[in-house]
Amino acid sequence: MSAVELKSVTKRYGDFLAISEQSLSIHDGEFLVLLGPSGCGKTTMMRMIAGLEEITGGDLLIAGERANDKPPKDRDIAMVFQNYGLYPHMTVADNIGYPLKLRGVSRANRTEMIEAVAQKVELTPYLKRRPAELSGGQRQRVALARAIIRRPKLFLMDEPLSNLDAKLRVTMRTEIKHLHHELKVTTVYVTHDQMEAMTLANRIAVLNKGVIVQLDTPEKIYSEPADLFVAEFIGSPSMNLIPGRIAGGVFEGQGVRIPGIDHAGRDDVVLGVRPEDLSLSPSGDAHISAPLYAVELTGESTLVTVRFEKTNICARGPADFRAEIDDTISMNARIDRLHLFDGASGKRLRR
Amino acid sequence: MKRSTVFWWLERLALVLVCIIALFPIVWMFMTAFKSGRDAYDLSLFFKPTFDNFLTVFRPPWNLGSMLWNSIVVATLTVVIAVPAAALAAYAFSRFHFHAKKSMFFAVIATQFIPATVIVLPFFLMFRNLGLLDTRTALVVVNLAIVTPFVIWMIKGFIDAIPVDSEEAAMMDGASRLRVIRDIVLPMAAPGILTSAIFCFILTWNEFLFALILTRREALTLPVGLVSFRTERGDLWELMSAAGVMITVPIFIMAILIQKHFTRGMTAGAIK
Repeated sequence: MSAVELKSVTKRYGDFLAISEQSLSIHDGEFLVLLGPSGCGKTTMMRMIAGLEEITGGDLLIAGERANDKPPKDRDIAMVFQNYGLYPHMTVADNIGYPLKLRGVSRANRTEMIEAVAQKVELTPYLKRRPAELSGGQRQRVALARAIIRRPKLFLMDEPLSNLDAKLRVTMRTEIKHLHHELKVTTVYVTHDQMEAMTLANRIAVLNKGVIVQLDTPEKIYSEPADLFVAEFIGSPSMNLIPGRIAGGVFEGQGVRIPGIDHAGRDDVVLGVRPEDLSLSPSGDAHISAPLYAVELTGESTLVTVRFEKTNICARGPADFRAEIDDTISMNARIDRLHLFDGASGKRLRR
Repeated sequence: MKRSTVFWWLERLALVLVCIIALFPIVWMFMTAFKSGRDAYDLSLFFKPTFDNFLTVFRPPWNLGSMLWNSIVVATLTVVIAVPAAALAAYAFSRFHFHAKKSMFFAVIATQFIPATVIVLPFFLMFRNLGLLDTRTALVVVNLAIVTPFVIWMIKGFIDAIPVDSEEAAMMDGASRLRVIRDIVLPMAAPGILTSAIFCFILTWNEFLFALILTRREALTLPVGLVSFRTERGDLWELMSAAGVMITVPIFIMAILIQKHFTRGMTAGAIK
């Protein structure tokens, strides 16, 4: 049985259609990430599940029960907010224990549970403090502890890491992943960061303009993006997208000529190739030849960008790659890893 | 002397002058309160202080005691009724979306635009018909009408400043709306609500016009009582000053309390 099910759910703010008739079923115990750029409706979708936002149309089922009109308190959901949503007038211990207090757990039991959870998220020395006396990462852990102190039907996390610095974000990401493994509670996680989505998710729902454009495992989303939007959104650096046409098994675009394409000839296609699927070639006779535009060393590899007219093409090369700007660089693409999209609709073309 | 130094001194001088002008009548009142009737008209700064005035005003025919009691009762009751009601209204205006919210809020505030002198006579007639003239009840009702819109507006400002996140978090944690207000909103808005309460008390305490028109003997309040020291024997300045001191001192204390609370930021640390 699915933990949460959205059936043709719609959200309207006046005339603005934020989410239009979207359906999504979240499996029991899975870690589902709602991914998309800001304003794509991912937070709205989560807030509708939480009950903080009214549902304009469609049905929301939680554990098989229609929950459209249930107040948030009766949905048995724990949520971690982007801005933490702590209670500034309470101590850390009282913050964490508040959900238990509301459920009438006795003081003694509460203290015991608070201490156990605090230990798990390494907050034990701070229990007597108030949120204002904590750092951002510590506040985030208080919010997390408050969510995991009970075993709700569902965890909702709304960009919980976006206010942390880059290093802490990675640490907390690992902690969240481990917590999910340990608690096995169904989790819905909202983010605009494709890296977070890739690393955390069992499945990712990519949203754009209020529509789920692809729902699949991270692997599939990465290797078989459903359209140009997903192709560009997932992966860093982004997939290279080259407009052109196919004739007689050969793709031709500006400065690009790739033979051996197993696809019927057609005009107006976009070829996608990820930087790591491009290899630098010493010979001049390669798929792509263009002047070097920039070289960026990332540590484990080098990002080599060539520019042809107004199109940049980026390849991931070896860390010891050296060349001068404006040198002509040749690249070969891995034929089996190419993506083809329809130029007009942006949809993926079957190979 | 450098230009900037001259400026600095001129600035201080101006500040001192402003302070003297503002404080002089108050200081003079305090001094007069401790003077005997004979010294009251004397402009000398040196006199033999006496407490007699404070005793005299409580004796007949002045009976300031009952007026003081009226003032305390009216102001306290007004605060006790106005502040909780206003806090709930302010919360609704701050957080809920409902039809014609803006116009309703404007209507509440608009009641403040009508000059008191315009409505004092209708009020008089109304309370006469109700048989409530010269009662504390009438004063409480009138003061509520004056003060509540203002307090709603004030508390709304404080509640607006509280991040919604904490409230939503509490709802997710399992709290009902009323529980959220009790556990989260009220404690966080407490400094603001206290400030509003004191403000409300001061307004009611100092209210003069309605008290003058709607009371005669039984429900007289201190500010109206002050006028009774203008007698056919002339103005009894020393008694008036003693009464004035009793009116101002509670206000002073409260002003200091407000100041303390204004500087305390309770919302710090809620988010980010």
